[in-house]
Amino acid sequence: MTQPILEVNDLKTHFPIRQGLFRRQTGTVLAVDGVTLYVDPHETLGVVGESGCGKTTLGRSILRLIEPTAGTVTYRGESVTGADKDRMRQLRKEMQIVFQDPYASLNPRMPVRDIIAEPLRIHGMDRKEANDRVGALLGKVGMMADHGNRYPHEFSGGQRQRIGIARALVLDPSLIILDEPVSALDVSIQAQVINLLEEIQDEFGLSFVFIAHDLSVVRHISDRVAVMYLGQVVELADRNQLYETPAHPYTSSLLSAVPVADPNAERERKRILLEGDLPSPANPPSGCRFHTRCPIAQDVCRVDPPELREVSAGHWAACHFPTGPGDSLINQVQRLGRDLRLVEAREH
Amino acid sequence: MTAPLLSVKDLSVTFRSDDGDLTAVRGMSFDVMPGEVLAVVGESGSGKSVTSLAIMGLLPRSARVSGSAMFDGRELIGADLKQLRKIRGKDIAMIFQDPMTALNPVFTIGSQIVEAITLHNDMSDKAAWERATELLNLVGIPDPKRRVKLYPHEYSGGMRQRAMIAMAMANEPKLLIADEPTTALDVTIQAQVLQVIRKAQAVTGAAMVLITHDLGVVAGLADRVNVMYAGAVFESGDIDDIFYRTANPYTLGLLGSIPILTARVSDKLTPIPGAPPNLRRLPEGCPFRPRCVFATEVCHGSEPDLMAVNGGRHRSRCYHIDKVAEARAGSTV
Repeated sequence: MTQPILEVNDLKTHFPIRQGLFRRQTGTVLAVDGVTLYVDPHETLGVVGESGCGKTTLGRSILRLIEPTAGTVTYRGESVTGADKDRMRQLRKEMQIVFQDPYASLNPRMPVRDIIAEPLRIHGMDRKEANDRVGALLGKVGMMADHGNRYPHEFSGGQRQRIGIARALVLDPSLIILDEPVSALDVSIQAQVINLLEEIQDEFGLSFVFIAHDLSVVRHISDRVAVMYLGQVVELADRNQLYETPAHPYTSSLLSAVPVADPNAERERKRILLEGDLPSPANPPSGCRFHTRCPIAQDVCRVDPPELREVSAGHWAACHFPTGPGDSLINQVQRLGRDLRLVEAREH
Repeated sequence: MTAPLLSVKDLSVTFRSDDGDLTAVRGMSFDVMPGEVLAVVGESGSGKSVTSLAIMGLLPRSARVSGSAMFDGRELIGADLKQLRKIRGKDIAMIFQDPMTALNPVFTIGSQIVEAITLHNDMSDKAAWERATELLNLVGIPDPKRRVKLYPHEYSGGMRQRAMIAMAMANEPKLLIADEPTTALDVTIQAQVLQVIRKAQAVTGAAMVLITHDLGVVAGLADRVNVMYAGAVFESGDIDDIFYRTANPYTLGLLGSIPILTARVSDKLTPIPGAPPNLRRLPEGCPFRPRCVFATEVCHGSEPDLMAVNGGRHRSRCYHIDKVAEARAGSTV
């Protein structure tokens, strides 16, 4: 068995809420609350969830850009959470991050060449060697070598994201955390960047943690997918298993909510509409955190938080009443005689 | 045949700037029939939002607008503010992407809906408040009697969007213009709000112009589609024509760029190469030519007209309609 490149064990990142004159702590936001997962070499693990589910905090906590509150992160068997400052700097060469906003993550006063070369200089490479490497990388991400002399504002959103990717690649990492790397881009440009990511993954043998809210993009690029809700992983499986036979009612509801660019499919679709909004991660519901919106919740769900357990080989779900092949969420809702919120997607 | 509710003819919008004039909309023509949902699809800078703002008379004075937009027998372009105010919020209502730009933070949701009602109707305050509560109920706001008295900041994002829809529907408009109504929302909330829009439209029978970049939302809501690129309509037709009998290279490129949720095997996406053109310096000939895989010599000459495909309502701005249709038939998208 291969050793995972990244292992995350019961990771928690909590933020204090401080209020009043003396900034007394009045509560805690449980942004990431007990996440366990791994990433294999050359693998893409997708992480999906709605805003506030903790997916971005998870990515940053893995790299300790935000210091986790508890739990461990291990990179190729070595503790990241236990590393001292010097060792952490070495480890960051191996683990890079690409941010969502290509406008905010590039220094507007530096030419692109220096933006990409900065990590090299910090790690002690001389200027000539660094420049050669930057020129080669610009080519790899589909830009011209002379683009290096220009400033970020001279580039479009898609090009800036290519620059961000080149900067992440410059130290020759093994793992890249991609935090919503294409959500700010127009669709035609989004597809270019997705293809680029797939190419560089093959060429450099990279592992990806791909954090996004767009379920179609995540299915396209991922090998396995983790679904997060209020700071926790509620389901984790091979992508086709997860999208075809989801075990957690939240995953089923998410998938049924996504509009599909196929009018015939939309006409035939039945959806389960979740009621209400996402509860606050500062005050998550008791028991199963999803029970307030779950169409099949029962008494036990209000009291007893379900563990993430294996429902079939490699398919994990945190639910007392997981759905399965041949027993969809719609079936379960009907069997329980619950108020059916199924709607035909459109009148015709 | 019924007359169109809105008939836009040769609409152009130009903004002056220090770097030269920027023409955001170039000679748009389209009709919206009563009760139909027309989706306007395009990427940033395609002119889809500017078109609707021009129709509503909401552009800054520095914008030069020419052409015509006949709504229910009245000309909107160049109409004075008094006339426009009678129409806006009554016969034509708008829903925006960000509800906080449309809702006033210092008034309760109820008082804002009541204002919209009493401005255009002779109705008592009491009756108007009852109607406001009824409207909130229609858009699925739980406990509307209590929530009608709350302020916008006390609503969640999805609820604000519903409240804005309630306000837009208050005077049973004939036309609803929705500009990216669900783009800022999470997917489960988006599904709720789309359902509310469908319901509100079905209840009032209003026609709708739906401006969006999301082809999934289009597939679930629209009857007809205008695909825009570089300030002009590039393809126009019934929804099935656009998705299944695509006749324009840009539309084909958009469809090839989006991953499909239900696809088991992920083939490589086929993105459109390059980037959208600078509107101040459009390329010679067809503006899409530099990115187009079908382009030939003829595309360098003049920009093609919007031409009929198979003689029907389906039209495409392209010299190579046949080649595109052939490629579409051969692809599995």
